[in-house]
Amino acid sequence: MWHAVKTLNAHNGYVCALIAKVARYSVSAALRKESVALVYKSHGDPMQVLKLQKLNLPALGDSEVLIKMLAAPINPADINMVQGTYAVLPELPAVGGNEGVGQVLEVGGHVTSFRPGDWVIPRDAGLGTWRKELVLKEHALLRVPSDIPLACAATLSVNPCTAIRMLSDFENLQPGNSVIQNAANSGVGQAVIQIAATKGIKTINVVRNRPNFQTLTEYLQSLGADYVITEESLRKPEMKDIFKNIPHPRLALNCVGGKSATEMLRHLQHGGTMVTYGGMAKQPVTAPVSSLIFKNVKLCGFWMTQWKRDHEHEMGELNEMISSLCSLIRQGKLKAPAYTEVPITDYKTALENAMKPFSSSKQILVM
Amino acid sequence: MNASCQLAVCSHMRSLLISFLRTTQPRFTAVRRRHYEALLYRSHGHPNDVIKMEKMTLPDIGAMDVRLRMLAAPVNPADINMIQGTYGILPSLPAVGGNEGLAEVIEVGNQVTTLSPGDWVIPVDAEFGTWRIEAVCNERDLIPVPNDIPLLSAATIGVNPCTAYRMLHDFIQLKPGDTVIQNGANSAVGQAVIQIAASMGINTINIVRNRPDLQNLVQKLKALGANYIIAEEQLHKSSAENILKDVPKPKLALNCVGGPNAAYLVDHLDYGGKLVTYGGMSKKP
Repeated sequence: MWHAVKTLNAHNGYVCALIAKVARYSVSAALRKESVALVYKSHGDPMQVLKLQKLNLPALGDSEVLIKMLAAPINPADINMVQGTYAVLPELPAVGGNEGVGQVLEVGGHVTSFRPGDWVIPRDAGLGTWRKELVLKEHALLRVPSDIPLACAATLSVNPCTAIRMLSDFENLQPGNSVIQNAANSGVGQAVIQIAATKGIKTINVVRNRPNFQTLTEYLQSLGADYVITEESLRKPEMKDIFKNIPHPRLALNCVGGKSATEMLRHLQHGGTMVTYGGMAKQPVTAPVSSLIFKNVKLCGFWMTQWKRDHEHEMGELNEMISSLCSLIRQGKLKAPAYTEVPITDYKTALENAMKPFSSSKQILVM
Repeated sequence: MNASCQLAVCSHMRSLLISFLRTTQPRFTAVRRRHYEALLYRSHGHPNDVIKMEKMTLPDIGAMDVRLRMLAAPVNPADINMIQGTYGILPSLPAVGGNEGLAEVIEVGNQVTTLSPGDWVIPVDAEFGTWRIEAVCNERDLIPVPNDIPLLSAATIGVNPCTAYRMLHDFIQLKPGDTVIQNGANSAVGQAVIQIAASMGINTINIVRNRPDLQNLVQKLKALGANYIIAEEQLHKSSAENILKDVPKPKLALNCVGGPNAAYLVDHLDYGGKLVTYGGMSKKP
């Protein structure tokens, strides 16, 4: 099957042909007309509706890129999309997965930003990353360095980006300030701990109690967490001891809702902000009127997908954010969340583990 | 010198009542009163139980002080909450009730530069204790208001219309044609919001509780400039939904009720809109 070979002009004397490039993951020279993907034709229980299916790949257009997916995590938003409860729902049938890292196999004749071998991540959600190959338009992709750990690249564009935006866009945090967050052991939570630590910001990290609470505490502290407390401790007078050492938080990050959110609000400084980016308890955020009127607390939401769409035409901002995060990764200051790699063929195990309560390891599908 | 005092203390759920402090004295007096009466409370509790009319001694007037005669002072929900001890700030006890009101300057100290006898003034800050016949305070504690506006407007300008004005200006950049939705619309703040919004060309959707004389209330609020009035019980019905289709989605919601009513406001906000909470009349989060 003959396919487009990109030739740069003779002045550069460079021709990029479709020859296998020796890299960590070898790249096939032949265009695969067929690929395999986790497809769902209706919304429902991911364990039921997702199926590994053969899919035809479209022919490569001039402005398009053929990508071999390397790894793609299972995030809560991915599950919600399959269940049909998320705010954006791709047309069905759809491929699951909203983020991941792939390697460029081949580029169309007008593509200038990428070369075979580059590692790329999607700019937007809804593109379907749980598959072995896909064809995307050049402008839908962002290059990431291929010398960072695979798991970091695969989990870069949703959770660490959410963390850095929430730490930057709502309160002007200075070294020595504090932040309080719930579900601190989540993908975002672990990124918040690490990014905050690089900025000298103290974190108070709330998690649900569990048998291995001590192990979890040690793990989060190794990432840079200042305090790790249970939801129950949030309501106890012992919180005062924490605030003898660090100031009350200016910023609260909430992805649980319900009582957890209400309790974090009580500890916020006057004029502080609580940002809600998830709702794991499926309960609304409850704010006592006195917090709003007398403590002048602000409640806002954050959605990474919306941020990316709002900044679509200012590519520089997204590029800069990814670049900063990659820099932290290279310095060893931002590690991937605790994870388990699962071959895509064993997707049912990965889904089951991802949807289990108290799941403590991010499931990453590898292709 | 006879002063007669008419005071009606109402629950925080009812509409505003004014206390008039009348005196037979001529407006300008050279004789210094050594005593005056005030509504004092020595402990927190139900206003009817803890508020008492007591004789107070007027302090001497310092060089930068002003002596005032209170003309009128409203009873606002926050005043009731302060006496009950549930408010966000609580003056030390014993305290005089009332946080806003209108006074006339009777006498000024010799270093007072901004005020003269006869001026109408209102207190700058809360906790002044306005439910009294006279007061002595520093010049800086007061701001003058014109005395060619109705007395009741002047007496009730410092809290509620200011709250309405700030909420309409400080949170969302509103343009003529925009919509604001609010609950507690027949409250003093609510009525000020309706009128100020109307002067800005802003549509208001006004939620009130149902009541036997709802029709009268609707007419009264419409006369102030309200565009739409919805009774709380109608909120999830098609009549309410139709209203909301008629106007641009509200960018700003003003809440003094809380609970499911506030959640309704949030649900109907435009993308990027804001809900500002300034009261909690239902005592629900």
